[in-house]
Amino acid sequence: MMETQEKISPPGFRTGSRSDASTEEYYLNMGPQHPSTHGVLRCVLKLDGESVVEVVPHLGYIHRGIEKVAENQTYLQLIHLSDRLDYLSSFSNNLCVCLAIEEAMQIGVPERGEYIRVMLCELQRIQSHLLWWGVFGMDLGAVTAFLYGFKEREQITDIFEELCGARLTMNFFRPGGSWADVPDSFLPRVRQVISRMKGALAECHTLLTNNVIFRERTQGIGVLPAATALSHGCTGAVLRGSGVAYDVRRHDPYSIYDRFAFEIPTGARGDCFDRYLMKMEEMRQSLAILEQAAATFPGGPHRAKERAAYKLPPGSYYSQVESARGLFGVTLIADGGPKPYRVKFRSPSFSNLSVVNAIAAGHQIADLVTILASLDFVVPDLDR
Amino acid sequence: MGVGGASPVTEQIAEILDRLPGGASLADTIEFVVAWARANSLWPLVYGTACCAMEMMSAGSSRHDWARFGVEVARATPRQADLIVLAGTIVEKMAQNLVTLYEQMPGPKYVIAMGSCAISGGPFYYDSYSVIKGGDRLVPVDVYIPGCPPRPEALLYGIMELQKKIRTEGRKNPWRVGTLFREPFIDTHSFARSQWEKRNQDETAPTAEQPRPGRLEKTTFPEVAAQKRPRPGLDNAGLLAAIHEAFPDLTAVADTNGDRVLELAVNRDHYLDLAAFLRDDPRLKLDLLLQITAVDWRDRFDLLVQLLSTGHGHKIFLRLAVDRDRPSIASLCPLFLGAEWHEREVFDLFGIQFTGHPDLRRIFLMDNFPGHPLRKDFDDPARVLRRPY
Repeated sequence: MMETQEKISPPGFRTGSRSDASTEEYYLNMGPQHPSTHGVLRCVLKLDGESVVEVVPHLGYIHRGIEKVAENQTYLQLIHLSDRLDYLSSFSNNLCVCLAIEEAMQIGVPERGEYIRVMLCELQRIQSHLLWWGVFGMDLGAVTAFLYGFKEREQITDIFEELCGARLTMNFFRPGGSWADVPDSFLPRVRQVISRMKGALAECHTLLTNNVIFRERTQGIGVLPAATALSHGCTGAVLRGSGVAYDVRRHDPYSIYDRFAFEIPTGARGDCFDRYLMKMEEMRQSLAILEQAAATFPGGPHRAKERAAYKLPPGSYYSQVESARGLFGVTLIADGGPKPYRVKFRSPSFSNLSVVNAIAAGHQIADLVTILASLDFVVPDLDR
Repeated sequence: MGVGGASPVTEQIAEILDRLPGGASLADTIEFVVAWARANSLWPLVYGTACCAMEMMSAGSSRHDWARFGVEVARATPRQADLIVLAGTIVEKMAQNLVTLYEQMPGPKYVIAMGSCAISGGPFYYDSYSVIKGGDRLVPVDVYIPGCPPRPEALLYGIMELQKKIRTEGRKNPWRVGTLFREPFIDTHSFARSQWEKRNQDETAPTAEQPRPGRLEKTTFPEVAAQKRPRPGLDNAGLLAAIHEAFPDLTAVADTNGDRVLELAVNRDHYLDLAAFLRDDPRLKLDLLLQITAVDWRDRFDLLVQLLSTGHGHKIFLRLAVDRDRPSIASLCPLFLGAEWHEREVFDLFGIQFTGHPDLRRIFLMDNFPGHPLRKDFDDPARVLRRPY
C-alpha cells in the first residue's frame, strides 16, 4: 500500500518535485564546517543522484554585526573594522573608508601618499590572488598548488610586515595618506618581488593552467552569462569573466590609477576557466602597475596635515574601490557628530555568491566545489 | 585539560602494575611513551572562521610548516581529529555547530583559542549582538594565543605549549602530573631577582643616572588641497534632466551640482517604474544594483537603493521614506535578481517587509532572534555589552 506523504523541504528551495519518479531527489547539507566552503558558508543541496538540482546558501555563521559596532566608534576607528571584513584586501578596504572621509572633509593627499596607496593595494591584490590560486588548486585536489601559492605569498607578506608590523589586518591608511612612511628597503623589495613574480606566474601556468585535468574540470563549468552577472550585481573577476569590462580603477578612477597604463582582461564564455584566467591576468597587470609606480616613485611627505578632529558634516558619503574580489563600497551617513550615524559596507563577495544557484544547477557536486572556488568569496566579507 | 584523559588501555595496565613492587615506575614509563606519542601526532580539525584561519593556513604551508611539530594531518572531519584550533570569531549561530563538532571529536581532545576573538570576542566584545565573548564559554580551552591575528610563529609556540601540557598529563586523573618525567620547574622570578641584586652590588654597574632619550621630533605635514576628480558618465545635471523627461516631479536630496552622487527622493508610487526606467533608458543604463540598505531615523526608515552604470560609469542613489510603524515596500526582485539577498538583509536587520519578494527570510541571524538589531532602539542586555565610554 502506497502512503502518500507530503515531504517537507528545507527552507529556501523553489524547484518543485519532479513528476518522473524513477529516481528520488534528496537533500544534503554542506558546511558550515567544510574544507571547500572557505570558512563557514553553509550550502544545502538538493540532489538527483550526484547532480545538483538546487543550491541554497545559508549565511550568517560569521555575522559579527560590524555595521552596528561601527556606529559606536569614531570615523578613524572605522579603518580597523574595515580590515576585518575582507582580510585579504585590507589595504583596499582601508583606502575606501579613507576616500569617503576625505571626500566629506575635503582632505587632499600628497603625491608620495598616493603612490604608496596604489602600490600597496596592487601588492595585496597579487597576494590575495596567489592565495586564491593555491586554494583553487587545493579544492580541485592539487595540494601542491597550495604550497606554491603560499611560498610566493610570503614574499609579499614580508614587505607588509616590515612596513606596518601586520601580516593581514593592516590598519595603515589614514585620511590624507598613511600613518607611516615606507621604509628605505620598500622599493628594492618591490622590485625584487616584481622580478620574482614573473617567473612564479609562469610556474603557476605550468602547474595548473595547462594541466589537462584542470582544464577538464573548469572549462564549460558554471557558465555565467553577462546579463545574469549584471542582474545579480556581480563585480570583479566574476563580472569580467563574463565579458563585461567594468573595473573601478579604469571606469571611475580613484587615487592615481588614471596615470598608469594597464589592461582590463575580459572573458568570452564566463565559465570557471575564464574566471580563473581573469585573476591570473590581473596579477600580471598589477605587476605592470607596480613597475610603472616603482619607476616614478616620488619623494616628499607621505601624508597631509592631520585634522584636529574628524567630524563629517551631515550628509551621506559614498566611495568605492576595486578590491581583489570586486567592487567594495562604503556608505557613511553622518549626523555631524564624531561617530557615524550609519555605516554600510558594500561587499563584493555578497553579490558574487548570490549567483551560485543560477550557475551550479545541473552540475555535479564536485563541480559545485569548483564553482564556489572560482567565485572567490571571503566569508566574513559576505556576512560582515 | 585534555578531555578524555588517559586511554582505557594505559589505565588498565596501570591498575595491574600498581600492585606489583616497582610497578608504578613501569606504569609511569608506559604513560610517558603514550603521552609523548600523543603530543607529537596532533591531528588538527580544519576549522577556521575568520582572519586567524589565514594565519593557521600560513602555519601549515611552505614557510612555517607545522608538520615539523607533528601537527600534520589536518582533518576535515571531527571524528579523526584530536585538536581544534578556534581560529576566528565565534558567533551565536555558529556556537551550536562548534559544540557539536567538539562533541564529535574522540577523546583525548584539545582546544587552542587562537586570537582575540576566540579568547574574549576581541574587537567585537562591545556593541556586537551576535559575537560569543570567548570560545571558553562553549568548550574547554587548553591554550590561549593572543593576537589579532596571531602570527604563525605564535600559533607554533601555542602548539608547543600544548604539547608540553600533554606530555606531563598523567593517567586516570588528567590533572595528575607524572612523577617520572616531570619537567623541571624553573623559578625565573627568584633567578631574575638574585641577578638584579647582584648587579646592584656591583660597583662597576651603570648607575641610575641614564642618558636622557632624545625627544621624538614631531613632524609637521603640509596642507594639501583636495583635488577634483572628473566623474565618469553624465554629470548630475545631465542625469536629472534625462530623468525629468519621464518623471518631471522628482527632486534631488543632496546638492546636485557638487561632486556627490545624485540622490533622488522617490515616492513609493513610482518606485518600481523609476527603477525600471533607470535600468532600461539608453542614456542612463544603470544596470548594476550595488546594494539596497536602510537607515533608521527614529521617526521613519529611509530605504537606500544604489545603482551603477557599468557602461557609462555614473551612479544614482534612490531614497525612499518608509513608515516606521508598518514598514512595507515593493520588492525590486522582478527587476534585479541580486535584490533578493539585499532585501533579505534589510528585512533581517531592520524589519522592513518587501511585498512580492519570493523568499523573505532572515539571512544572517537565527530565526528566533528577538528584534531587528540595526534599528536604533534595539536593546538586548543579554547579548549586547554597551561600551562604557
